[in-house]
Amino acid sequence: MRNTLIALIALASPLFAHHSFTMFDMTKKVTLVGTVTDFQWTNPHSYIEIDVPDDKGVKHWSIEMGSPSILQQSGWKFSSLKKGDKTTLIISPLKDGKLGGFLNVATLPDGRMLGNGPGQGPGR
Amino acid sequence: MKSMIPGACLIALLAPLAVHAQNNPPDLTGVWGVYRGGRGGDPKVAPPPATPLLLKPEYKKPYDEHQKLVAEANARGEQLATQGAQCIPYGMPTMMSVAIYPVEFIQTPKQITIITEAFSEVRRVYMGEPQKGFDDVAPGYYGRSVGKWDGDTLVVDTIGLKPSIAGYRNMPHSEKMHITERIRLVAPDYLHDQITIDDPVVLEKPVTYTLGYKRMPKDYEMVEFVCDNNREYVDKSGVVRLQLKDK
Repeated sequence: MRNTLIALIALASPLFAHHSFTMFDMTKKVTLVGTVTDFQWTNPHSYIEIDVPDDKGVKHWSIEMGSPSILQQSGWKFSSLKKGDKTTLIISPLKDGKLGGFLNVATLPDGRMLGNGPGQGPGR
Repeated sequence: MKSMIPGACLIALLAPLAVHAQNNPPDLTGVWGVYRGGRGGDPKVAPPPATPLLLKPEYKKPYDEHQKLVAEANARGEQLATQGAQCIPYGMPTMMSVAIYPVEFIQTPKQITIITEAFSEVRRVYMGEPQKGFDDVAPGYYGRSVGKWDGDTLVVDTIGLKPSIAGYRNMPHSEKMHITERIRLVAPDYLHDQITIDDPVVLEKPVTYTLGYKRMPKDYEMVEFVCDNNREYVDKSGVVRLQLKDK
């Protein structure tokens, strides 16, 4: 009954402003260690573009984050990352296997670890 | 007659209070965050459950079929296209509560302006003005809203909403949709917006639901939300995909 009540309340408004996170495998965590090529502080989402070296060369990943409104609630600023920064990201990858994902936690060059806002989904 | 005297006395006592509330409405100005109650919430200020959404049979069948397709796609790990995913503003009434984004009220005697953080949507409530007829308001995202105070409750009447915009729970609606809101402080810093949607074309009977808000810290500044970097796109099958960037 309690769950039903919560579901009824939740349905009164969309839980995501932009889109759900069903395209990402939120049960998986992948660690990316690499170099930022672009940090986009934009709506409806912010993005980290990152080059990640591996045994076969360098792979490029696009990592989606929340919106600036959501990100600032977990300490992010528009200047938190810049091109050339070394960073470590823990992400949930796309289910289709392409090189994209949704940020869980980033470790900034100064060692601070920032999450992805108070919620867990994109566009919140 | 004798038994009516206490009632009459009560009315006589309360009438000045009602007049006082009418002349001194609460000030809703400020930024309000979404408050759904739920786990850890205060049940005294949590919004009550909605009434059932009862669509007429000719609208219920396609609605149910679409909801089934949405659920099936979700089970496959795919999301079907939505208005929000394409960065199209929500409009009324959905704009009044989107995810966890706040809304700002700016109250003056003649106009109450409501600005949402998600998609920076704006609606204007003209106080004390008569509502126009359906034929006099071009259907749009926000329609035309007029308001008045009923004691300490702000009553807002809205018409003129285009059928193509997402409705409550994605319900279909016609140009005859009529929204009545009763907005009031249920406790200091807690606001409820009770929304009743009537649509004689689509609904068997009006549906009512309530949105809850909690006042944000006084130093909160609304954040800009211009959707100029939408990297989600809809593919040929109608599924939302993420546009990756090649080096």
